Amino acid sequence: MPTMFYLSARNLALAEKEGLDLFALCNGCHASISEVKHALDRDPQLVKQVNENLSSEGLEYRGNSRVLHLLEILNGEVGVEKIRASLTHDLEGFRFAPHYGCHALRPSVVGRPEDPEDPKILDGLIRTLGAEAAYYPERLDCCGSSLGLHDIEAALKIAGGKLNSIKGRGFDGMVVVCPFCYKMYDARQDIIKRVLEDEEIRIPVFYYTQLLGLAMGLDAKKLGLHLNQSPVELAIQKMEAKWRG
Amino acid sequence: MDKASSVVVIGGGIAGIQASLDLADRGVRVHLVEKSPSIGGKMALLDKTFPTMDCAICILAPKMIEVYRHPNIDLLTLSEVTCMEGDAGNFKVTVTKKPRYINESKCIGCGVCASKCPTKVPDEAQMGLSMRKAAYLPFPQAVPLIYSIDERSCLFLTKGICRVCEKFCEAGAIDFEQKAEERVIDAASIIVATGLETYDPSPLKEYGYRRFKNVVTALELERMVTATGPTGGQLLRPSDGRHPDSVAFVQCVGSRSLSEGYPYCSAVCCMHATKESILVKEHSPESKVTIMYTDMRAFGKGFREFVNRARDEYGVEYIRGKPAEVREEPRDGGLSFWYEDTETGEIHLKHVDLLVLCTALTPSHDNRRLAEILGVELDEHNFFVQPDHMLSPLATTKEGVFVCGYSQGPKDIPDTIAEASGATAMSAEVIRRAMRG
Repeated sequence: MPTMFYLSARNLALAEKEGLDLFALCNGCHASISEVKHALDRDPQLVKQVNENLSSEGLEYRGNSRVLHLLEILNGEVGVEKIRASLTHDLEGFRFAPHYGCHALRPSVVGRPEDPEDPKILDGLIRTLGAEAAYYPERLDCCGSSLGLHDIEAALKIAGGKLNSIKGRGFDGMVVVCPFCYKMYDARQDIIKRVLEDEEIRIPVFYYTQLLGLAMGLDAKKLGLHLNQSPVELAIQKMEAKWRG
Repeated sequence: MDKASSVVVIGGGIAGIQASLDLADRGVRVHLVEKSPSIGGKMALLDKTFPTMDCAICILAPKMIEVYRHPNIDLLTLSEVTCMEGDAGNFKVTVTKKPRYINESKCIGCGVCASKCPTKVPDEAQMGLSMRKAAYLPFPQAVPLIYSIDERSCLFLTKGICRVCEKFCEAGAIDFEQKAEERVIDAASIIVATGLETYDPSPLKEYGYRRFKNVVTALELERMVTATGPTGGQLLRPSDGRHPDSVAFVQCVGSRSLSEGYPYCSAVCCMHATKESILVKEHSPESKVTIMYTDMRAFGKGFREFVNRARDEYGVEYIRGKPAEVREEPRDGGLSFWYEDTETGEIHLKHVDLLVLCTALTPSHDNRRLAEILGVELDEHNFFVQPDHMLSPLATTKEGVFVCGYSQGPKDIPDTIAEASGATAMSAEVIRRAMRG
């Protein structure tokens, strides 16, 4: 039995034991666990095998817990109305580039939170904050992260291509929902600049909840924004100026 | 005329027109039942026909007029078959005629009702690219040349106000009192010729139809290049009204598909894309025109030569490959896509000003209801089933009911006409037997 099945099933079984659904914060984790759950829910033999291994810990996979993605939590479980009611600062006049990330969208057969060809939820969530979420041709392009293990230069060029496109389109920043994509665009932005020999790339990259937190009036430090390595201060200063009036 | 020698033809496109004329010329009484206000069908929407580049309406209009004038043809527009009883040689067919709200014998076709009508709705005959009025003639060559009032959009019929057309109609032809009428027709045989519909490619989101303004369907392009089209025959991009410098056609959009769409080959798209690419080149010889195809199915008479001509004389580029995902450049409305040239295995990026989707063609969705009324079988795609497809391709699962044209299976205009004449012969045989008793 592939270890992947065991590991994902174990996480699901742990959540089930607590009577909870599983909230996977990362696109890749959500895709992996969804893929395993999809397989288990269709193959009783596989469930039997998995449970034989889980029994040593007193765990059992029954398939009662859901795997939820950030987009599903915010758009479905919480709902845009509740989000809107919690806002204290509006982001009107700001324009963001949504980046969904491949694994939020594919493989669609295992059940993904979004339409793989024309996703809309993150756009809607950005608009809920009063900001504009605009279409750009590269919006579904991969961040290149998973290529990083084999060919880091190619990976950086892929990520750089997208940042380069965003650069010329009047965006105040990019919004992501996956830590892996986030790392690529935020933490590696400086290396990308060097690889592409393009000093003009200065794109603030936010994890969606950071932007949400700012609109809820939370402190930037509490949101970990001082840990972002992309120039988020460009956008934050503009927001502060707007809010000061 | 003996009731045993009449035939009901359902559908007034080129198939129904041909079948009606063939039968009527043999002395058979024909009742041609068409659900829309005019006969002509899809062929009336085409600019040219392949592979001869004849003007479609120039070939079709004389036949439409012949139908209207023929003493043996009873033309029933805005009509549908709503009930059928009996057997081969002795059918009783109920036809329901919807109100036209304009008196057919009084209307002189002057068009003043349409010019005064305040309500505008998307024009079906222009694929929604321009607007028509609620009082309207579907297209200039419509037969009968009688206006009709669309009850879904007329202000008086929907909200009880207006009646402006009535004030201006000098012929006194407006009649809001008209009601649906039923007629029972005795017929020896029935010919089904309900034709085709175009597949709406919006579920195939990778192509961006309806999301990106400059992604259009082949039938929309046909209207965009034709003289009676919404731009008077100028090929202009929907987003900015500019002449496109580059146009790409995508084949098999929803056809030959194992996921969304239909598994069958729609049979005519390789050729109508070739025809339309020549039309684009004739409009603007400098433009770059590309056809992205799956396989080139140029099997018919003169077809391969037609493709060669498009490639060699007009410079149309043929690429075996399909766009993976179409993107729009918001700055200029241009479209780009990556594709694999499957002849070389190389990956390329292409930019075009206008993208044309050659979508699947399907039988009419109304076939489902019609088949129930007639007691015949349809296949899973709404084509009429033949008990012996090889040896009796125009039969249906009910004796005395025949089928021709696209509702039988995917085919082009010449094959449709051949089948229509064939169905006529089959019908005549039923009549001969019925008359012998």
